Amino acid sequence: MTERGGYDDEALLADLGEAWRDVAPVAAALTTRAQAAFSWRTVDADLELAALHFDSAAHSGVSSRAPEGAARVLVFSSTPLTVELEVLPDQLVGQLVPPGAADVTVETDAGTTTQVRSDERGYFVVAPLPGSPMRLRCDTATGRLVTDWVSL
Amino acid sequence: MEPTLDARARSARPPRPGRITAAVPPLCLPTRRRPVPTVRLQLVEVELVEEVHVDDEQSPIAGLVTAANQGDQEAWRELVARYSPLLVNVIRRFRLSRAETEDVAQTVWLRMVEHLGSLREPHALPKWLVTTGRREAMRHLATGRRDWPQDPQQDVWPVVLTDDEDPAEALDRAERHQALLAGLAELPSRQRDLLVMLMVDPPLAYVEIGARLGIPVGSIGPTRSRAIERLRQTPAMVAYQAGVDELSPSGGPGGRS
Repeated sequence: MTERGGYDDEALLADLGEAWRDVAPVAAALTTRAQAAFSWRTVDADLELAALHFDSAAHSGVSSRAPEGAARVLVFSSTPLTVELEVLPDQLVGQLVPPGAADVTVETDAGTTTQVRSDERGYFVVAPLPGSPMRLRCDTATGRLVTDWVSL
Repeated sequence: MEPTLDARARSARPPRPGRITAAVPPLCLPTRRRPVPTVRLQLVEVELVEEVHVDDEQSPIAGLVTAANQGDQEAWRELVARYSPLLVNVIRRFRLSRAETEDVAQTVWLRMVEHLGSLREPHALPKWLVTTGRREAMRHLATGRRDWPQDPQQDVWPVVLTDDEDPAEALDRAERHQALLAGLAELPSRQRDLLVMLMVDPPLAYVEIGARLGIPVGSIGPTRSRAIERLRQTPAMVAYQAGVDELSPSGGPGGRS
């Protein structure tokens, strides 16, 4: 069967083979890790998912890379709570809105967790930088949330 | 009254082997809101579930997404195995190192875990993966914290994009690869398994392939033809071929090696 300028079965299969062999080693390497990602599924209905709504890295453009040391800013939002995060070379600086004391837990998919406490202004620091990908859990007087995963 | 409802439930959903898809929730019987014999309905559900596995002509993706969203870990594992090649293809175009590619891909999969329930419909999954993979790769480039490959033996990609290649041809090839991998991911299991096995390098003998898949050697050729035909009809390949038509009035992608 011939279709569209001679794109026949053999040509299609050859192209597919090229595409497949190009990605197969890396895909195989990450498949096990990605399959394990399911264990991070949140089943707690009271936990708000705070989606990544702003990322300064998405606005700077590839051609104008941020200079060394400039902070990347991430904003996660859910209905009652917002988390603003600055990624500095050696630490994360965060701000909860509305402000308030809260337990903040940083978790990575490797299974490490770091717990810090925000002050009454909602300000917190995580040092050193956690591994990647990571996300935050925040337990506040206003509500509880978990953020989207991000790679730093 | 009860027997009548029971009969209606059965006649409304007669067993139709090869027709029931996982995308059709087996619970949307109009009779379900009314007092019905629960035991009988459960029997009907069991029959439907079995038919899903028998039916090898339907794309399993919708069923896998629905099952994973309900907490089925096996369904999730299958989705990851099917779509990781496409996701890697999307991310690697940004020429990240291998370690960076894995981290970005893992971020996308982790995020997918929490967003399964918010997909508008199960078939939105591939588009979500491609869009999110591309965006995360671009963000990674923009953060300026790239770890450039240190050891070329370990970290460099097998070269497919050659520097002397015509950019238009390279772009067409990249789009074609993406469409082929997206199409492959949604084929019925037997067809997908066969195509994957045909791509092993060095090639396997048909006897070996037949033994591994548990199918007669004589059915490999016909299955291969059906799989390729099916692949052509997947939305990704239909869109790719339509795009090619628009760009080159003379016809499809020529000059392929």
